[in-house]
Amino acid sequence: MSGNSSFDAIIIGGGHNGLVCANVLARKNKRVLICEARKECGGMVSNDITNYVPPVTSAVSSSIGGMQINYIPKTTIALSETGQHIRLVGNQHIDHKSISTFSSHDADRFNDFHEKMSKFSKTLGSFMMASPPRIMNNSFSDYFKLFKLGLNVRLLGKKNFNEFARMIGLNIADELEDNFENTLLQGLIAHDSVIGSNLGPRSPGSLINLLYRMAIHNNSLFGGIFQIEGGNDQFTKHLIEKCKSNNVEIKTSASVKNCIIENDCAVGVELKNGEKMYAKKIISNADPRSTYFSLLGSQNLDTDVKRKIKHHRSKGRVAKLILELDKLPSFNNCDDNDLDSRMVVAPSIDYIEETFNPSKFDKLSLEPTLEICVKKDSDQNPKLDIQVQYAPYKTYQGWENIKESYVESIIRIISKYAPNINEYIERKKLLTPDDIELEYNVSGGHWHHGEIQIDQLFMMRPIPGASQYKTHLDGLFMCGAGTHPGGGLTGISGKNAAKAVLDDF
Amino acid sequence: MTQDLRYSALKKTPFHSRTSLASRTNKYYNWNGYTVPTEYSTTELEYTAARNGTSVMDLTPMGKYEIIGDHAHQFVDYLVTRDLSKMKDNTVAYIIWCNEDGKVIDDGTIFKFSSTKFMLCCAVKIYNWLNDSAYGFDVTITDVTDTIAALAIQGPTSCSTLKKFGATDLETLKPFEMREYKIDGFDILISRTGFTGDLGYELWTEPKNAETTWDNIEIAGKELKLRPFGMYALEMTRIEAGFIQTNTDFMAAEDSLRPTRMRSPYEIGMGWLVHLNKNSYFVGKKALKKEKEENTTERCLVGLDIDGDKPAHGSVIYNSKKEDIGIVTAALWSPIMKKNIALASLKRPYGIKIKENIFAEIYHPEELEYRKIWARCKVVKRQFFNPERRNKVPADLYE
Repeated sequence: MSGNSSFDAIIIGGGHNGLVCANVLARKNKRVLICEARKECGGMVSNDITNYVPPVTSAVSSSIGGMQINYIPKTTIALSETGQHIRLVGNQHIDHKSISTFSSHDADRFNDFHEKMSKFSKTLGSFMMASPPRIMNNSFSDYFKLFKLGLNVRLLGKKNFNEFARMIGLNIADELEDNFENTLLQGLIAHDSVIGSNLGPRSPGSLINLLYRMAIHNNSLFGGIFQIEGGNDQFTKHLIEKCKSNNVEIKTSASVKNCIIENDCAVGVELKNGEKMYAKKIISNADPRSTYFSLLGSQNLDTDVKRKIKHHRSKGRVAKLILELDKLPSFNNCDDNDLDSRMVVAPSIDYIEETFNPSKFDKLSLEPTLEICVKKDSDQNPKLDIQVQYAPYKTYQGWENIKESYVESIIRIISKYAPNINEYIERKKLLTPDDIELEYNVSGGHWHHGEIQIDQLFMMRPIPGASQYKTHLDGLFMCGAGTHPGGGLTGISGKNAAKAVLDDF
Repeated sequence: MTQDLRYSALKKTPFHSRTSLASRTNKYYNWNGYTVPTEYSTTELEYTAARNGTSVMDLTPMGKYEIIGDHAHQFVDYLVTRDLSKMKDNTVAYIIWCNEDGKVIDDGTIFKFSSTKFMLCCAVKIYNWLNDSAYGFDVTITDVTDTIAALAIQGPTSCSTLKKFGATDLETLKPFEMREYKIDGFDILISRTGFTGDLGYELWTEPKNAETTWDNIEIAGKELKLRPFGMYALEMTRIEAGFIQTNTDFMAAEDSLRPTRMRSPYEIGMGWLVHLNKNSYFVGKKALKKEKEENTTERCLVGLDIDGDKPAHGSVIYNSKKEDIGIVTAALWSPIMKKNIALASLKRPYGIKIKENIFAEIYHPEELEYRKIWARCKVVKRQFFNPERRNKVPADLYE
């Protein structure tokens, strides 16, 4: 059957990684088909989910023949109830009062802290762009990669090397309390360390999460945060256009039921409507759990692989609240420029930790942390897009029973900073992690298709034995955020996967 | 995998009141948390009963797992290396199962009642493995070790004994078949299976029936040289039959600490149980296929016919250049064969291509001194003892 494949590769899922992967393959003269279950491609880059994006690296951009999109840098504001907000871009606090009014000590410290973190994120980042090594492979290039990481870390110098080793398993709260006095600043950085994860600021490993985030945001704490001119889905639109010019075929509303396996090799896909399509390589942009348990099927997996996938942690804890307003709200002590910024409600480390605590027991905190993005298109009503953390995947009382009161409590918090907000609200929409799971076909509704933590990074992402974009089934690959280096809308997974597929042809 | 039993009391099987009464030596051992006799009187007598009359062994401690559900057949076929897709109802199959590296975890027997109900029997506990493997299949796995009492009734007169006990037409039961009986009001399942390599049966019933069943079998076998037998005698018979024992002839993949000690089916003479052309996937298929294609099998398990009469327990095996080429895993002076036999794990090509000029270094203990014997070995079929009566249908009957 595989002999008469009409395609070289079929990509299951047209998220940004799938689209990047398709373009890289198509540019090497491969005939590629993308099967997307939803009505449109783009997955979680959708405006409904994503507020801000990191810049696409030049490596990814050049691998698909250049990206012509404009990135608009965004300022981050830590909202304070007293109105004394902190405004930051990169390592700059843009208005002088920002940190120094509270503490000149912190203002000085911030630069040093930023420099140190930036250095470490660069070291980590050098390892993130290429496909990770596999130690059991006994291949020279794999050992060399590992050696290079070791060397990069060692070349930091003895002092930094020790510091790096100290920090790798550390929680962010300790590090911030050692450096800063101001709780608002502590809260802001802690927020960015844990956003999208299942960690609180006092959870071990929350620091590496921040380094990871910095590595994809220009090695900067607040400097690599962008929006795309015309909306973040321009990113998707651009990739789709590229696909068209590269003759990639895209089938939307084409939900894949499972892989077709012949002679223990993936040779095609079967759609839910029964249609079958064949290709030499199958690439899954779905999350690892769906890839293994749905596409591959548990009857085709070794017991140990099942165990590993079952252990794979992929429950999301971020909900998205969209408030449609009839007019632009005003925030205390904020001007028009500020409304254009990324506004964070995370007043202190303890505030975040207390929000985190109930989520461990599948309960809700009524004082969640918020990342607010004001969207004001000229032809549409203004909107507040709010990332709400921590909203557990499943709640103790059942989401359907508490959704409404949860939305009210979020609005109550916003109204501390924008007192009249309640009067402007026309429509509210809350996407909980299990809504995201359903709508975007992502198990657990996790931003990154799986936790970004030390046990699920590098050669252990998503699971040992499948870290080089190959699954345990010959002919089936993975290109989604569940693979190294992980989520964050970088497209690196898609690019690296394409390379692994090309090497296999 | 096996629970640490050092500090917990051992359980008694439903036959304990009878086995302990029969025991003259009070020699017991711990089998899966149960205390069962190693020897009742003398091992030689028990062995003789197994080869010339009927021997009865308490099998209750064997791990027994019920697999029930719509996917039961599919799951069992996925779990083991053997192609069971055409397995018929009321039959039994000998099986092995592997981990993802294609290394053997254990061997055992699988009983098929219907396509939705199976029972798996094996020496050690494997509930976790079964349960984890079953993820994604519509099956329920229950450990029924404690709720099924089991006896092995083995030996040339075993069929006659069981017929007298009440199992009508038992002689027509073919090897690896099973039949349900109602005897004295008890539901009793009898399968023509066993671990002695001779004519023999295994009997399965509820624990509450155990004592009466034992008594009635004892009465039925009175004139047929019936004797209870323990683990030592079983060990003798199973070596003669060439059957392998987990953690004796090979290390269970889930238990061995050193990866190099794990063995693939091809390395322990179980290649005939691996069906790589099976339609569906099974655990370890990918690795086994690779091993076969790349021909990376390193060892083999063979039978040795050794010069002399001193058993080669634990002997190291050498080639003519006195290079270490393997080890004896089980050895015995076989009374019925009148031969000095052993099972040995050898490094290929020894045992496969090179079968001559192989030597065992035997240390024979003689009153606190060892006599070192350099004995020539011949590689032979592992199945040393295989009498015609073992598979004969109808089975031999005696008065």
